[in-house]
Amino acid sequence: MRFRRNLLGSFLSFVVVIGVWQAIISFGHVAPYVAPTPLDAWRSIVTNWSHLWPLTLATVKETLFGFVAGATLGMGLGILLSKRRFVQRVIYPILILSQAIPIIALAPPLVLVLGFGLTPKVVIVAWIVFFPVTVSVLDGLANVDRDLLTLARAYGASPWRTFLVIEVPSASTSLFSGLKIGATYAVTGAIIGELAASSGSSLAMFQHSQSAQLDAAGVYGTTLIMTAVGMSWFGVVALVEFFTTPWKRRSVARRAGRRI
Amino acid sequence: MRLVSLSLYIERVDLGPVLTLSNTEKTFGALPAVAPTSFTINQGSFVSIVGPSGCGKSTLFNMIAGLEAPSAGTVQLHGADISGRTGHVGYMLQKDLLAPWRTVLGNITMGAHLTRGVTREDEERGSSLARQYGLGEFLAHYPNALSGGMRQRVALMRTLMTDHELLLLDEPFGALDAQTRFEMQRWLLDVWQSTQRTVLFVTHDVDEAIFLSDRILVMSERPGRVVLDLTIDLPRPRRTAMLTDTAFMGAKREILSLLHHESGE
Repeated sequence: MRFRRNLLGSFLSFVVVIGVWQAIISFGHVAPYVAPTPLDAWRSIVTNWSHLWPLTLATVKETLFGFVAGATLGMGLGILLSKRRFVQRVIYPILILSQAIPIIALAPPLVLVLGFGLTPKVVIVAWIVFFPVTVSVLDGLANVDRDLLTLARAYGASPWRTFLVIEVPSASTSLFSGLKIGATYAVTGAIIGELAASSGSSLAMFQHSQSAQLDAAGVYGTTLIMTAVGMSWFGVVALVEFFTTPWKRRSVARRAGRRI
Repeated sequence: MRLVSLSLYIERVDLGPVLTLSNTEKTFGALPAVAPTSFTINQGSFVSIVGPSGCGKSTLFNMIAGLEAPSAGTVQLHGADISGRTGHVGYMLQKDLLAPWRTVLGNITMGAHLTRGVTREDEERGSSLARQYGLGEFLAHYPNALSGGMRQRVALMRTLMTDHELLLLDEPFGALDAQTRFEMQRWLLDVWQSTQRTVLFVTHDVDEAIFLSDRILVMSERPGRVVLDLTIDLPRPRRTAMLTDTAFMGAKREILSLLHHESGE
């Protein structure tokens, strides 16, 4: 029920965005070479599809690998830093420093080390993704109910079991917030990587050439594809959250028991 | 296998001490929290501890649960020293501390999950306990769907599942409204009488302490020590009518005068 209502909401917001876009073009008398109508942008995607499709797949691959690497690193760092306070004092400033480096300025040194292939793009994506994940895991683990941890100790639970049974599920809400931010930003990292560390063709380079040819509909169409990639990853994370946290939306579980 | 009697009340026999505190004390830095305290709790008995706020009741409980090591003295369970060692007694707090992500059954079996992993047998035992004490329809519910009283029942079932002889209940009904609280008291007595456990119960409510207990320990202000050890001579099972019994009133008068004297009122 709630799932269907969410879907309806998303569809309505899509309609609103397209409507506002169309209204600005129509009532603002914007010339077609400055900005296209939504339909023109869509037509351009369809026309260029055979060329866009492999480039889109490449971007999807970069974001996927980068997101998985960044999320894994982010969770690992979050757990390590929350368990070892001294390590946190040493590492945390370095993490902030890593995020203060303008991402676009990160590409040239990466190219020197890693060349022009898939790797520098994956590294840039992971670089963007890990930070919100680390911060959300740190927050989530810091906010676990102290009394619940005391109770686990009174039961004689080992630190490892306490972590699995109490801390991980407690921190899951916060973790998913970080993963959603990371998933949305992943595509930004991939496009920056494609611009700054590409020798061959890519979505970013293709859009660059469309821009040079004053193909406004093409430029907007490619932007739409990039946006769709970012939103899809957000959707995937939201879906995983939906199915792994049933207690947030149900009052009764499908099954009472859950043996591990 | 434990013998379970639901409606029948079996006369309790004195089976000797479960818990023995010998000059047990706790100081935090220079601040004494619990003065040297000695008492024993006999098997199968229901003993309440009452005292003014901040008298060190919780510290005392933490020492018995092994969460805090005593600064001096010992805590013995069936004659074995358990000072500073956890996992030997059942422990329940005013906050129900149910995990929102676990079902009622999942919460009841949480102790097993925290120590070794939940078996099919644990789930079956948990289900039958829950059914026996009025939670049968709620096994698959998440805690957010339950009332405060129901949540405390689940928390008590979870404590019972640990199989420890001694249960420490730290103001378990403190956050409930009067009506629910009264129902929960009678329900707790039912559970206690049929499961044959030993209960050490902390409360602020003198009526509650007398209604439930065989014996009441009254503590002084910080640093806490036992200033009165009172046996409650009311027959079991306890009835609502006993709340106005002369023995009840006498015990209440004695405890209240001491509490008020102790807190300087």
